[in-house]
Amino acid sequence: MSFDVSLILSALPKMLMGIGLTFQLLILSGVLGLMLAIVLMLMRISGKWYLSWPAQVYIYVFRGTPILVQIFIVYYGFPQLDFIRDSFLWPIFRDPFGCATVALTLNTGAYVSEILRGGVLGVDRGVLEAGEALGLNPRQRFTYLTTPIAARLALPAYGNDVISLLKSTALASTITLADMTGIARTLVAQTYAPYEIFISLAIVYMIITFLIQKLMARIERWLGRYTVRTS
Amino acid sequence: MDVLSGWWDDFFWGSVVVAQVFLASLVLMVIFGLIGAAAKLSGSRIAQKIANGYTIVFRGTPEILVILLLYFGSAITLTAIAQLFNPEIKFLDVPPFWAGTIAIALIVGSYATETFRGAFLGVKPGSIEAAHALGMNTLQVFIYVRVPEMWRLALPAFGNHMLSLIKDTALISIIGLNETLFVAKQAMGATGEPFVMYITVGAIYLGFSTVITLSVMALEHFGSRHMRAET
Repeated sequence: MSFDVSLILSALPKMLMGIGLTFQLLILSGVLGLMLAIVLMLMRISGKWYLSWPAQVYIYVFRGTPILVQIFIVYYGFPQLDFIRDSFLWPIFRDPFGCATVALTLNTGAYVSEILRGGVLGVDRGVLEAGEALGLNPRQRFTYLTTPIAARLALPAYGNDVISLLKSTALASTITLADMTGIARTLVAQTYAPYEIFISLAIVYMIITFLIQKLMARIERWLGRYTVRTS
Repeated sequence: MDVLSGWWDDFFWGSVVVAQVFLASLVLMVIFGLIGAAAKLSGSRIAQKIANGYTIVFRGTPEILVILLLYFGSAITLTAIAQLFNPEIKFLDVPPFWAGTIAIALIVGSYATETFRGAFLGVKPGSIEAAHALGMNTLQVFIYVRVPEMWRLALPAFGNHMLSLIKDTALISIIGLNETLFVAKQAMGATGEPFVMYITVGAIYLGFSTVITLSVMALEHFGSRHMRAET
């Protein structure tokens, strides 16, 4: 057994063909998941039991089960149900990409809503009281005070969740999608060289992780710009 | 529930495998985490570099890739070694149980490294000084002062690591471990009822997660008993 460098050089461009799909899954489910998370978080902090209980159950179920099971339920399970086959959503569930996006969105939404809730609960009461004293109504206080401060507080944890989401996109390869991991698995089946192919792919993922961390650090600096003392 | 008749025992044994993987990987995860934390806290630059490399690699790579690499990589290495002694051997692999267990323990261990490191640094210097003033030696300080404070600090994050472990066991079905997800795939093939089968798997995992969450809550309650007022 030996480490074949020429194999890496031929395999790497093939695997990078899947990077577009990886990014599509990451960005699409990241954005949709964030919107879902905002809705869930607002439901949880609404103080109305008929909104907060369903959100809590949803979060409990989606955080308590493996993402792979969720992907399989959507991909293998949903097409079995007649009301889904007959609905306008069928084109989404017929397509593995649609299924992967739906599963990743539902999963990340549950995690991110808890992160956002932590941010909102972390906002200093004094700031809100000051806003009230200045005559801002609850809606204004939420928009102009809670939202920007909570966003900055939640950002470090949110960055970690984006990285988890990136890692979860690799599971799309289990439902026939040819993302980077899917292509790598096909290549390993053909060449039987797991070390060369999987290690070089791991390095690609690590580079993307590193770039996401840099991007998040930059956003964090921008959101926290008022905390920096200028002399 | 009729479709499930005849599959209950398979799901039961699958759950036993999940529990076995969980317990074995829990032990390994604690060991990896402690070694990593010790290396990061040690004075040695080389040990720190290695530990940093460990956490960067395993936190930046998708779990499925680590599992595939460890399983197929070890198989190819083991086969090559075995062929040196007996050229007749065509294929030899590490059992999926152990390849998968070690893989998920390495992944979660990289997160545990940071948790343990943070807990060690979180012990109040005053407690340690007080213990020294009482004439305790370093070992006594570690056993009677550091450990009781550390485990309480580490517990919330450690609970999350245990949840990650239990959910990552689902990924080991990809390399052929006969746990619940694997059972569901067989049952789906035999009955043509994927939805019920995968929902069952989800329910089993939700049960495991609930048990872990409740145990951690009970331990936290126990760990903070000295913080509560006597009633």
